[in-house]
Amino acid sequence: MSTAALNKVQMPFKDYKSEVPVVWCPGCGHHGILNGLYRALADAGVDPTCLVNVSGIGCSSRTPYFVKSYKMHTLHGRAGAVATGVQLARPDLAVVVTGGDGDGFSIGGGHMPHMARKNVNLTYILYDNGIYGLTKGQYSPTSRPELKAYTTPYGGPDEPMNPCLYMLTYGATFVAQAFAGKPKICADLIKQALEHKGFSYVNIFSQCPSFNKIDTIEFYRDLVEEIPAGHDVTDIGAAMALARRPNGKAPMGLLYKEEGKPTLDEKMAGLVQKLGGHPDYDMKKVINLFRP
Amino acid sequence: MTKNDLIIRVGGEGGEGVISSGDFIAAACARAGLEVYTFKTFPAEIKGGYAMYQVRTSPDHIYNQGDTFDVFCAFNGEAYEMNKHLLRPGTAFVYDYPGGDFEPDAIPAGVHAYPIPMTAAAKELKSARSKNMVALGALSVLFNISEETLSEVLSKKFGKKGQEVLDANLAAFAKGKSLAQGIKKTDTWRVADPKPPKDVIVISGNDAVGMGSLIGKLDFFSAYPITPATEIAKYVATHIPKFGGTLVQAEDEIASISQVLGASYAGKRSMTATSGPGLALMSEMLGMSAMSEVPVMVVDVQRGGPSTGLPTKHEQSDLFLAIHGGHGDAPRIVLSVENVKDCVDMAVDALNLAEQYQCPVLLMSDGSLAFSTQTIPAPDPSSYKIVHRKRWDGQGEYKRYVMTDDLISPMADPGTPGGMHVATGLEHGETGAPKYTAENHELQARKRFGKIKTVVDQYAPVEVDGSGAADIGIITWGSTIGVVREAVMRLREEGIKVKGFYPKLMWPMPVAQYEAFAATCKKILVPEVNFQGQLSHFIRAETSIKPIPYAICGGLPFTPAQIVQKVKEVI
Ligand SMILES: Cc1ncc(C[n+]2csc(CCOP(=O)(O)OP(=O)(O)O)c2C)c(N)n1
Ligand SMILES: [Mg+2]
Repeated sequence: MSTAALNKVQMPFKDYKSEVPVVWCPGCGHHGILNGLYRALADAGVDPTCLVNVSGIGCSSRTPYFVKSYKMHTLHGRAGAVATGVQLARPDLAVVVTGGDGDGFSIGGGHMPHMARKNVNLTYILYDNGIYGLTKGQYSPTSRPELKAYTTPYGGPDEPMNPCLYMLTYGATFVAQAFAGKPKICADLIKQALEHKGFSYVNIFSQCPSFNKIDTIEFYRDLVEEIPAGHDVTDIGAAMALARRPNGKAPMGLLYKEEGKPTLDEKMAGLVQKLGGHPDYDMKKVINLFRP
Repeated sequence: MTKNDLIIRVGGEGGEGVISSGDFIAAACARAGLEVYTFKTFPAEIKGGYAMYQVRTSPDHIYNQGDTFDVFCAFNGEAYEMNKHLLRPGTAFVYDYPGGDFEPDAIPAGVHAYPIPMTAAAKELKSARSKNMVALGALSVLFNISEETLSEVLSKKFGKKGQEVLDANLAAFAKGKSLAQGIKKTDTWRVADPKPPKDVIVISGNDAVGMGSLIGKLDFFSAYPITPATEIAKYVATHIPKFGGTLVQAEDEIASISQVLGASYAGKRSMTATSGPGLALMSEMLGMSAMSEVPVMVVDVQRGGPSTGLPTKHEQSDLFLAIHGGHGDAPRIVLSVENVKDCVDMAVDALNLAEQYQCPVLLMSDGSLAFSTQTIPAPDPSSYKIVHRKRWDGQGEYKRYVMTDDLISPMADPGTPGGMHVATGLEHGETGAPKYTAENHELQARKRFGKIKTVVDQYAPVEVDGSGAADIGIITWGSTIGVVREAVMRLREEGIKVKGFYPKLMWPMPVAQYEAFAATCKKILVPEVNFQGQLSHFIRAETSIKPIPYAICGGLPFTPAQIVQKVKEVI
């Protein structure tokens, strides 16, 4: 998403909070991400009136209620597709999706590659807690097999997926990873994502103290490692190599950024321009094509 | 039915030019001021397989595809095998012989047989692909298809492809004519003489839905390809950019309806088009549209089901899905078209109703209408009323789901100062904040169902065909209406007291109108093309009427003759 063309406002980050009280458990990583989001919105100067925050279903998907914005709380897994419709209909708006690992990569997994490869101009923030929080603790596509969860009392049979590698593979033009325990880094990366023109994806590790007893705040703190200063963010090969966690550490920071790639709405506007399209085009011309 | 009401059927292998010859006949007749109603069947396979194109033409209005052919033209042996049981005394039979791939059995007595060496003539002209043009030339001579308009149509079509192509086709056409001129015509079938041209277009059901949606000021369309609905997306893809609108081919039907919901929330007139399998996938999001009160318009071009079913065949079996598909109590408005003209008009209506009532609106068409081309009056875009959603006037505090007299709450497009709100699938109160109390859930359900009640009065009353008392009343829907209209005319000619009831608003059901109609008829017959008798089911459930179901599901529409016969059986 690019905030460049949008109405800029100057608002303290606290003013991005809505009146709705945050309902997450104490100690949940989602609080840190939300704070990062408030700060990023303030730093990027996003006008709440022109912001549409879309979500699916999950604890993380409650985010829009807590953010001053236009918002859609939709169906489990469908936030990205709904947001794509919003963005294409109104390219003048800032569109942000907030949701969980289950929402984005399990039930909604069919939509992720297409937002990435089509370069839909929106920002997708994925709260990755390796668990289905809202349904009280089943294993998710990012759970480790060691996790003994509600439906996997003996541990899980599945290998976890690697969200950043996945999004890089499908052509996302902005991929970053952070950890909820580092709200400043979250804020910085979300701000960059908001300012990126194109599809921007931010994966944020978020501890779930209620249901994921192994991916604790300490675990994530130990797991992540800031991306070395020398990393070339325009080098997809280097980004993928890092995303693979070569030394067992998950990279934290901006992995990849491709600038200048046309977005889906730009391509569509280009087509309209090429055909000289306008709302007052004479419908009769189209009708006359069917005269015998 | 008049003497000049003629049905010509062309059959052959898919890709042999069956479809284009049918198109040429239809266009030539329409250009000559006649009405046309075409009907096609084609294989689900990409190449080969039996394809059939039938043109019904008449100087008078045509309501359906007819009973069966009067003239049959066989391009190959398979087409002959498929149709030979329909050759009956009086019919004319034109076929590729000698030199074709078959030799017919003994021609039944009374059938007028005209062998034309189509393949051989095309080979002789060194343009094997113009076999269909040879056939067309022969048909034009034998059955009085206007030579003038036919050559105009051919020039228009082939002229674009260069002189060489045009010449080759015209040569084959001329060859066909001269072959037929050497034959003695023994039947009496002829296309009516040309009449002064009318202000008409010739268009298929799917193209007509696309046209209607653009007349209805569609802004955003997203769909996933599926037979028999894809042509709607093709039409919209071709023309919507000219109006500055957007078309997306989404990754699946769930994504397409999700995008439609998102675009609609963002303030745009939005729709998708699919068939039964896609509609099944969309049902969860239809509930979201009902709950969040975000308008969406969905076209369902029905095909044979369940599952992958009979993808290219005709059926009217999605009524249950359209009306009740999905979980929870989710209101919606369901419309169903009778013919191609309805496809234009009711696509506009469906978009308008979605905007007006802020709910899902389904427009049902079917596999035979999808590909049927018909002459319809050229639509005048300025004559259609465009209804916009109720929008917030910016006064006072904005509450998205505020209770109003008509139960419809004003919407606010994103970007409207003071209008920030949530569109939510959770049960909610006036502001949109989640609210799960029993009172509130009942209140909101009453709002969502209550607001669409007036559509029954607002949407044009159901057409009743006939007046006074009748021995039998026929209630039917979709393209079966056109078949019943003709059956009713024939039955009346035989002195049978029969009436018809033709609803286009399927849901909510105009119950009072059903009851009033049934009160004037001794019996009610409900023909429809599905196994379970789906409309009969709704009539039993919602009214006091005890209908006699007449449900068939052979992949083909009813014929008027079938209805006539059934009426005589049950009356
Ligand atoms: C179609 C459908 N299937 C299942 C559910 C139940 N469900 C709601 S949220 C959820 C998982 C949420 O996990 P995640 O997306 O990771 O979000 P978190 O709560 O962990 O933030 C599930 C399975 C649903 N709401 N809809
Ligand atoms: Mg989760």
